[in-house]
Amino acid sequence: MQSSIEQPTEAEVAKAQGGPNSLQFEVNWGEKLCFGVIPRALVKDGFFKWHKFSRLLDSFVARIGVLDMIRRTNMITGFSTKRWWVPALGVFTIVLWMGPVPESRAAESGEQLFQGKCASCHSIGGGKIVGPDLAGVHDRRSQEWLEKFVKSPQSVIESGDPDAVAIYEKFNKFPMPAGLITDKEIKEVLAYIKVASAAGSGETQAAVAVKKPEKVATKEDITRGLNLFQGKARFENAGPTCISCHDVKNDAVIGGGVLAKELTTVFSELGGPGVRAILGGAPFPVMEAAYKDKALTKTEVFSLVAFLESADEQHAYQKPRDYGTGLLLSGIIGAFILFGFYSLLWLRRRKDSVNQKIYDRQVKSE
Amino acid sequence: MTSLNEFLFIAFPYIAIVVFFVGTIYRYKSTPYKVSSLSSQFLEGKKVFWGIVPFHFGIIIIFLGHLLVFLFPDDVLRWNSNPLRLILHEGIGFTFGISVFLGLTILMLRRWFNPRLKMVTNRMDVAIEVIILLQIILGLWIALGYRWGSSWFAADLSPYLWSIFKLNPQIDAVSALPVVIKLHIVGAFLIFLLIPFTRLVHFLVAPFHYIWRRYQVVMWNWDKDQVRKPETAWQVTRPKNN
Repeated sequence: MQSSIEQPTEAEVAKAQGGPNSLQFEVNWGEKLCFGVIPRALVKDGFFKWHKFSRLLDSFVARIGVLDMIRRTNMITGFSTKRWWVPALGVFTIVLWMGPVPESRAAESGEQLFQGKCASCHSIGGGKIVGPDLAGVHDRRSQEWLEKFVKSPQSVIESGDPDAVAIYEKFNKFPMPAGLITDKEIKEVLAYIKVASAAGSGETQAAVAVKKPEKVATKEDITRGLNLFQGKARFENAGPTCISCHDVKNDAVIGGGVLAKELTTVFSELGGPGVRAILGGAPFPVMEAAYKDKALTKTEVFSLVAFLESADEQHAYQKPRDYGTGLLLSGIIGAFILFGFYSLLWLRRRKDSVNQKIYDRQVKSE
Repeated sequence: MTSLNEFLFIAFPYIAIVVFFVGTIYRYKSTPYKVSSLSSQFLEGKKVFWGIVPFHFGIIIIFLGHLLVFLFPDDVLRWNSNPLRLILHEGIGFTFGISVFLGLTILMLRRWFNPRLKMVTNRMDVAIEVIILLQIILGLWIALGYRWGSSWFAADLSPYLWSIFKLNPQIDAVSALPVVIKLHIVGAFLIFLLIPFTRLVHFLVAPFHYIWRRYQVVMWNWDKDQVRKPETAWQVTRPKNN
């Protein structure tokens, strides 16, 4: 006699019991599905006829081809190679069934677009911020060139267009991000810029705000900026800390992120007004989504700019730790500790399968 | 590029969700006893421990980690707002990530080199193993190369995922992310889509009651050694159970 703590798998149980009773199962399935969604009493009263519903689903499904695909696909052995077109047809049906994808953004006027997407870096008649002043830009460039450039600045620069390269060189080699607005929106914004520069009243509020003379940053401001940057102090509107994505080469910063641009020399690249404008407006898509409804306050922007300025000045003398290597090493060491822990947790586990001896004998006799 | 992004981050997630639900319900209805995965512990019981335990504990922690950041982004940002807590969080996540990677690698090698396991392996098993392995490699790459994922997931991907479920997809931020992260997102939806066609369905029917259940004692009322002897084969008792 032999005994064991092992038990047969569910598949084996299924085989032994000779398959499900389909009629009984169908009713139970409906109850199971609605349990927790619709009160049981309603189901019992026959308010929802689930077996009818499931039959309806079957007939529906047979038509749309999606489940046809699943039905014809042997679900255990994988897709049948001879009928590759069946799943393809199923997916195609779903795409058709979903219909056109709705436009996710409501239409905005040229002025709203300019204020929302462009005014962080550009003014119309207010002078340079991060990028050039756009007053009268239509006199300097053709409409076609402007549309091409706004759509994808990097590709125009890389194509060697002399005007584009000149702008790129002049404005600290900081390319304008692509994909901020759609082709249709580009036309609207350009139309607005044309009108605004003709009117001559184009100095935007953002431009005025960032050009305002600031008070001189004190040591406390810089420390506060450092704490805000690495999250020791939280932003008032609960935005994510800067080190989530950015790093600054500075010994005082613990663990800067590397998703987005390294900000060590951003102050000398963009200047105070440029950095202030970006912090205030978050004009890049990823940053925009992260600070949606969580904008930085004016004092927070001021402290951060003060910190970035001082970090820029000191960066030559800083030797911060390499957190990437640290993370890799701690992960590998931690994983080996885990392996040890698991083996201790199951120290008295069965180390062979139950029938190991029988299997070994079979192999021997072959 | 815009239409590709719209397909990958708007259409594809909805396709994945629809196929997942319809396919899973259909599989459960038509072949209910196959809503599981074949255990191979019977066939090889030694190496399986070093693969299956690190893999499953790791994948549970990693999956719950992603789920919690998706569900409670603001609380995660509050926790991560202290740099030391952030590094602790990321370190623990990365440790489990490495253990998932090692565990799955061990399981794949075991499946590949053991003839007994090869007999019970089907094409979808191999496909899903390879896809999950690639997904894990991408995840580790992101954790190291695009730090700190736990924070920017909460800030950018949580709102995106919520916008999918609120039927108003916002993909501006996702479209601007590095391609490695995009692949990881698409991979996640692909795995979700493939659940009803693969052994992954077993996670929907995890037998939690086994944890508290008492041991089952399995007995044979005949001498197995005697039954298996070539000289007396089939004479003592007809073998019924290997």
